[in-house]
Amino acid sequence: MITKEATTAAPAPAPAVPEPPRPVQRRRAWDEAPRWQIYLPLGIYLVFTLIPFYWILLFALRPAGSTSLVPWPMTTAHFEKVWTDRGFATFFQNSVLVGVATLFMTTLVALAGGYALARFDFRIKRGFMLALLCSQFVPGALLLVPLFEIFAELQMINSLGSVIIAETVFQLPLSMILLSNFIKNVPYSLEEAAWVDGCNRFRAFRVVVLPLLRPGLIAVGSFAFVHSWNHFLFALMFLNNQEKQTVPVGLNTLMSADSVDLGALAAGGIIAAVPVVIVFAFIQKWLITGFSAGAVKG
Amino acid sequence: MKISILGRNTGRGRRGRTSAAVALGAVLALTATACGDDGSGSGEGAEGSGTGKIVFWDNNGGVRTDIWKEVIADFEKANPDIDVQYVGIASTEYQSKVDTAIQGGGLPDVGGISASMLAGFAAQGALEPLDERLEGSSLNGKLNKDMIESLRAAGGGDDQLYSVPTSANNGVLYYRTDMFEKAGLEEPTTWDRFFEAAEKLTDKGSNRFGYTIRGGAGSIAQALDAMYGQSGITSFWDSTGKKTTVNDPKNVKALEKYAALFKKVTPAADLNNDFTKMVAQWDSGEIGMLNHNLGSYQDHVKALGVEKFRGIPQPVGPDGKRVQVSNPVDGIGLFKSSKNKDAAWKFIEFAASAQSNSKFNESAGQVPAHADAAKDAWIAKAEPTKLAADALSDGSTTIVQLPYYLPDWNTISKADNEPNFQKVLLGDMSAKDFLDGIAEQLNAAQAEWDEQMG
Repeated sequence: MITKEATTAAPAPAPAVPEPPRPVQRRRAWDEAPRWQIYLPLGIYLVFTLIPFYWILLFALRPAGSTSLVPWPMTTAHFEKVWTDRGFATFFQNSVLVGVATLFMTTLVALAGGYALARFDFRIKRGFMLALLCSQFVPGALLLVPLFEIFAELQMINSLGSVIIAETVFQLPLSMILLSNFIKNVPYSLEEAAWVDGCNRFRAFRVVVLPLLRPGLIAVGSFAFVHSWNHFLFALMFLNNQEKQTVPVGLNTLMSADSVDLGALAAGGIIAAVPVVIVFAFIQKWLITGFSAGAVKG
Repeated sequence: MKISILGRNTGRGRRGRTSAAVALGAVLALTATACGDDGSGSGEGAEGSGTGKIVFWDNNGGVRTDIWKEVIADFEKANPDIDVQYVGIASTEYQSKVDTAIQGGGLPDVGGISASMLAGFAAQGALEPLDERLEGSSLNGKLNKDMIESLRAAGGGDDQLYSVPTSANNGVLYYRTDMFEKAGLEEPTTWDRFFEAAEKLTDKGSNRFGYTIRGGAGSIAQALDAMYGQSGITSFWDSTGKKTTVNDPKNVKALEKYAALFKKVTPAADLNNDFTKMVAQWDSGEIGMLNHNLGSYQDHVKALGVEKFRGIPQPVGPDGKRVQVSNPVDGIGLFKSSKNKDAAWKFIEFAASAQSNSKFNESAGQVPAHADAAKDAWIAKAEPTKLAADALSDGSTTIVQLPYYLPDWNTISKADNEPNFQKVLLGDMSAKDFLDGIAEQLNAAQAEWDEQMG
């Protein structure tokens, strides 16, 4: 009663009306902006971005010697030439193998390493993290000769395995840091709850944590795939057999010292770009989430 | 090592651990980058049985892969007990791949070795001297003497031959015959006609230009060709052999005139022209003239057909004499580390023989090194090659030999000075300052070379 009376007899003074939050104002101003102010800059940017792609398509699809600005009459001769005569069918298979193997190896090892960095504390952890970061400053070219000697000792020169291992090793530091940040964002209490329910650590990780890491895994995996797909140096140096080479090395051989077949080069460029475009088209949503979530939390 | 669950360990002594980690990282990085090889590749190799497998690295893989595979198929047919594994490597990456293999092992038996990279490989002791093998070969006396001397001179100063010549390239002035006819201009056989045509053919409003200049990668060699061609100076070094003539006042004046063509009669985008862009825009646009070499002839034929252009030797100077700078002679070398030198030499002999050399150069559009191949009928049909071969052999042309033997030549003529040439084109640096800078570097490199050679 007293409480009721007190509350009814003495109404509390009206709280100060808070100012409308600024983001709402910004959103309104954005919504009210004329459409052209949004689409014109975007359109100009798009034109600048797409013209080089159009140029590549044009050279790839128009006959040799044509100066037409549209790819008509259209020909697939350049694609046939690079795919069959220049060995791109083989290079493509090799690149897929290197890319997929690097993706799985990087993701698997980075997941284990990232979990250790996120959930355990050990004596040299800070130093280890620093070493991971420092490893990003060492260019691959600097390590080329030592890596070459190591792979030669292991009888792995001229084997796709050497490229896969080298690519994985160079991808691991950044991937581990990204995944450890992801794992830190998963509440530790979730794992503890799973342990209480009878799970061991591995099962708790697999059932509770792993499903929540999907954006991070996709980001790390796709980054590893795209990087190894495009990477040129290790494949050039460690692979001597023509049948073992990858797409970037094949593309490079389409330009000789003083002659270049632009149609074949453009067709080769499209063959090289298509898998990357497809990968990004499918995973862009998770990729952006993955990088932003993994990059800023520390 | 103690490991604990995060948040339940206070992390003692972290400053010390961080320092230790930094030190460890530094040690690992230094260890990883250290080279433990003496630079001699993988040993002295062996003569071998003359049969079995050999590996051949092509220094200009890609466009020439097909013709090399044809030559290899012919060789394997003639030598069924030898198997040649072909590896085509892009010319831009060849030197770094061979250098890595010299340091780390894994060199092939045979490799394409042009004059421009010979000094570096020879200095590292990676190549087998070939004079004795050549003396006892059917090739003896059949190969172009000038090409042999060019490769011998480029080999590192010990007067040994490390590469058997296969081809010579030469600077060519390509011009659009249709545009010249329409404008009523004479063939640009002299430098005066060249400059006159460049101006008269230019109509920027119609996106038509008289010339395309090379402002990006490879610009220096082309600028040197234009300079020495105009000045008529016939030697890269003065009479003492210690000072370069590159900054001679006549050359400075010639470069000023040549660089002034930029934007006046050329597209502004030429500032970043490497040969790919330069050739592509000449083949697909309306540009009157292009300086390049024999290598792009087939590209022009594909793009323009044979009716719309001609490729002629560089213009002659006011005294009627033609002076050109040397193009690197291409050849094939035997790596010292080969375990099957006998079979490798058989392949080199076969590839440089009249039949193979003719076949290869017909495809590449270059001047054959074998005397008999140089007489073949196809040369008369490939006009730029014929004119280049004539110019190189009939005494009408003086070749200024560039110092490929200097280990620093590639750095001086590329990375160090190409950005400065762009400054000259943009008017941010004078031609004199540019050439004085190059001359200073060259004189120092030559002095160092002289000192090393005793």
